Amino acid sequence: MDSVLRAGAMYVALMVLFRVAGRRSLADLTTFDFVLLLIIGEATQQALLGEDFSFTNAVLVIATLIVLDVGLSLVKLNSLSVARLLDGHATVVVEDGHFLHGRMRRSRLTEDDILESARANQGLTDVSQIQYAIVERNGKISIISRDGAS
Amino acid sequence: MANTDEESARHYPVSEDMRMQRRVWRFERLGWYALVGVVGLSLAGLFGNGPLSERTVRSADGRVQVEYARFTRNGAAEQLRIRVQGKPDSEATLLLGGSMFRDLTMETLQPQPLVSVSQGRALLLHLGTDRDGFATLYVTLRNDNIGQFSGTARVGPDSAVRFSTFVYP
Repeated sequence: MDSVLRAGAMYVALMVLFRVAGRRSLADLTTFDFVLLLIIGEATQQALLGEDFSFTNAVLVIATLIVLDVGLSLVKLNSLSVARLLDGHATVVVEDGHFLHGRMRRSRLTEDDILESARANQGLTDVSQIQYAIVERNGKISIISRDGAS
Repeated sequence: MANTDEESARHYPVSEDMRMQRRVWRFERLGWYALVGVVGLSLAGLFGNGPLSERTVRSADGRVQVEYARFTRNGAAEQLRIRVQGKPDSEATLLLGGSMFRDLTMETLQPQPLVSVSQGRALLLHLGTDRDGFATLYVTLRNDNIGQFSGTARVGPDSAVRFSTFVYP
């Protein structure tokens, strides 16, 4: 019983914590973010398994996590409002070659972040070449160039 | 003409819900403050091992004194230090009762009591006192349960202390 409860509680706790962290936190994984992710995994592992390192316990925990995850995606499939609540929306941060600074600040994005993405994805070097930059739900920045949009 | 109103929702190229988005941003910000609070409180000892957690109780006549942790965590060990005053170079009897000693595992008792017998649901220990009449007992408890546990340490009819610990999951 407690394997299921542990896994369920940890799933909810991690979901809340990562919602607080925001979508940008682990979007472009730097080496340090990767290490951080590993440490979070290490810290979680003990609480998930307790002192029971049996095969059965591991399978039960994994099964619970998968049940919760698939269940949640089924709920999201049927309810747009739940999906919006859990996944958020895409947000426009550059429009017609202009930065929307208020939105960028609240999304914790700098101009450099957006220009970096513009260079990497579209080969654009200046904000005036960007029609739209959009922070997607997974935190990645999509760039639509002005030429392409017109 | 660029739309400079950042608060209004766009419908192209993506459909936005700015009311919801503002709520998300506010949640992230408040959540961050809350996490800072949690970190601060855990440094202070609300979740064990810190100034908020370390407690000392003494009976009215001062014959028994217990140092204990107010907050501990499941799976961790807790140290209790019980100091008893009796006659010099003699024996003092200490009665330990309460859910703390029944429901948590008592790992070690140092020094070993001269006599250790059960009395009802409590534990009666005879401790050897030193030249000044004091006996100190170190108890290690393993917190393998969750919740609030209370204990009593009694030396005589008027010398008793109550203490309790909360074990986090």
